[in-house]
Amino acid sequence: MITKYFSKVVVKFNPFGKEAKTARLLLSSIPPAQRLQGTQIQSEILHASSSKTPIVKITYKDKKEMELDPSTVTFQELASYFDRHSRQLKLKESIENS
Amino acid sequence: MSLSGLLGLRLPLIQVLGKPYVSRSWWRSYAVSSHTSLEGRITVKPLESRKTFLVDSYKHMMETSPVVLFVHYNNLMKNEDHHYRSLVKQQGGRLTMLRNSLFSVYLKNSKASDPCAPLSRKKQNRKHPLLPLLKGPTAAITFAETNPVSVAKILKMLERAQDKLFVVGAKVETEVYDVTQLNQFKTLPSKPELQAQLLGLLNVLGGAGLVRTLEAGSQTLYLTLSSHQDNQSSDNKKEE
Repeated sequence: MITKYFSKVVVKFNPFGKEAKTARLLLSSIPPAQRLQGTQIQSEILHASSSKTPIVKITYKDKKEMELDPSTVTFQELASYFDRHSRQLKLKESIENS
Repeated sequence: MSLSGLLGLRLPLIQVLGKPYVSRSWWRSYAVSSHTSLEGRITVKPLESRKTFLVDSYKHMMETSPVVLFVHYNNLMKNEDHHYRSLVKQQGGRLTMLRNSLFSVYLKNSKASDPCAPLSRKKQNRKHPLLPLLKGPTAAITFAETNPVSVAKILKMLERAQDKLFVVGAKVETEVYDVTQLNQFKTLPSKPELQAQLLGLLNVLGGAGLVRTLEAGSQTLYLTLSSHQDNQSSDNKKEE
């Protein structure tokens, strides 16, 4: 997963629910150096009786926002969904730098 | 010199010990082999393997510690890891990184006397309430005593750690708590204090009152039965 272009990550999940695996793997796939470089990460633990729905919301460095419900997808599917925009940014960056 | 050496034979160890080798292919369709140690302990993995050791150590950990907090950890760097371990140690706890698959093997087999022994799927507890917590990097903070105060201190410390280390669930005595239940639990006074409160309450109520209350149940049962007997005997007399 390309996490380089994330500026803010918001994850809400219930650790006992089926969305837990996807959400926790996403959190662990962000390298520790990136936390120090200013990517904001917010995680909220939901419980069974809370009315909030599980969600993954990512803001990219060009301020585009994308969100997805982690209970319906596997981590691989989630990664490919968010990589779509990351790859565009990567391409743009490589064109600008050349 | 071994027995097989004396006999000048090269028999497999199991045959030498007088236990005829039985193919256990009917036991488990997906994993045919199992290992038998000299003491007769049958394990899925070799007895001296790391996997058997870890499952045994998880059994020991869960049975000796009444409070276990399960935390999610995110790519801790070496100094952070040391930092959190020392902080947990100060509060009388212990941080253990878990191997999810082996820990879930223990959870599934936790009712069996030996969690490492091969067990059919039907005999396993595949719906253990802690199983959903073992998705992604998981660690356990264990306490040797039930003390909500130290749990509260750990939770406060973890709040500062933000998303590097956060609690996802807990086991307290025999119950499984989620985060809200854990927050309620941490506000309780410690166990000896609660026991002292109960004792104080009993003293205030006074010995005689308490004895009367405890006796009341059996007394009413006796009275009901005796009146029932009276009724029946009077009915019998009428019939006669």
